[in-house]
Amino acid sequence: MISMSMLKLLIVSLVLSTFISPIFVLPAHASGQEMASSVINQAEDVVASAYEAVLEAERAGANVSGLLARLNQAGEFLAGAWVAFRLGDFEEAARSASLCSEISESVKNEAGEMRVEAYGLRVKGFWLTMTGSLVGVVAVVFGSFVGWRVFKRRYYMRVSRMKPEVSSGES
Amino acid sequence: MNLEECRTVFATGSLILMLIVAAPTLSLIVRFPGGIERFSELWVLGPDLMAQEYPFNIQVNSTYNIFVGMGNHMGASSYYLLDVKFRNQTQPLPDTLNSKPSPLPPLYEYKAFVKDGETWEKTLKFSVLEALLCDDSAFVSRISINDVVFSVNVSAKWDSEHKGFYYQLFFELWLYNLTARSFQFHNRFVWIWLNMTV
Repeated sequence: MISMSMLKLLIVSLVLSTFISPIFVLPAHASGQEMASSVINQAEDVVASAYEAVLEAERAGANVSGLLARLNQAGEFLAGAWVAFRLGDFEEAARSASLCSEISESVKNEAGEMRVEAYGLRVKGFWLTMTGSLVGVVAVVFGSFVGWRVFKRRYYMRVSRMKPEVSSGES
Repeated sequence: MNLEECRTVFATGSLILMLIVAAPTLSLIVRFPGGIERFSELWVLGPDLMAQEYPFNIQVNSTYNIFVGMGNHMGASSYYLLDVKFRNQTQPLPDTLNSKPSPLPPLYEYKAFVKDGETWEKTLKFSVLEALLCDDSAFVSRISINDVVFSVNVSAKWDSEHKGFYYQLFFELWLYNLTARSFQFHNRFVWIWLNMTV
């Protein structure tokens, strides 16, 4: 049988725990929120820089369709993270944001490689086109020069073969 | 035709031929300012992917499907944010004249990367989970979008002119600005009207 003093002690400890527990729970909640917020913001930055890297690769002439598909996957995780965060599910928010960062990071690295590769191909293509055009222009200039000389010679020959016609004066 | 005229024809022909041969290189170096209009499309379609049979008279715990989509004509791949918001007739819509989004908080959101000239489309499933209907007012407390539950707490007065309790589910399009390194309202939004019924 529980004595009166034990019962009092139990009630006091229950009342105390009711008031004290929020002091421990609230910071844990707040730190969860802060942590999720920080992970999401980090994911936002990684996605943005991955997008920039993909744009640069695209400008260099790379086919970025595959990279965009993966970025869309990352975007879905990031949107999910924001929705979970607004609903107070910080654990899910942080998990989704981490997955987003992981995908975005790999996309960023791959985009960088693709940009270098595409840029190299572009430079090569540029030189090839320029050489082709230069050779073509030289060929046209040379051909025109030779063609003009031949034409001029034939023109003079034709003129020199012409016989002057004498017409009788009627005055 | 005398020799002088022949020379002019010859020189002109050669020059045209040179320009044709040099055109591939010139196109790589010279950029002509294009008059191409840059824009994005945004649409909402009914459950059969047509601009018809949109959900209108809605009931509690019934599920409705619509499609939201966007098209990119911005000249490069773009990063979009699509906010899904819920309002009654009196709450503010985006102000497209001043390029201001609606101040209402977003419920659901999509983030999408769309290649230039391509489109993006997703299905959106929604249902009203809790609502109270009185004589002259309705109160929607919880809705679900793509199986995520949101507390909305939006009331609507009886619209005697159109005979209904009207709500709006609307979609705001935001575009990522590389210079500002943030999303900016892209001045586009679409919506569907919903009439809460018993």
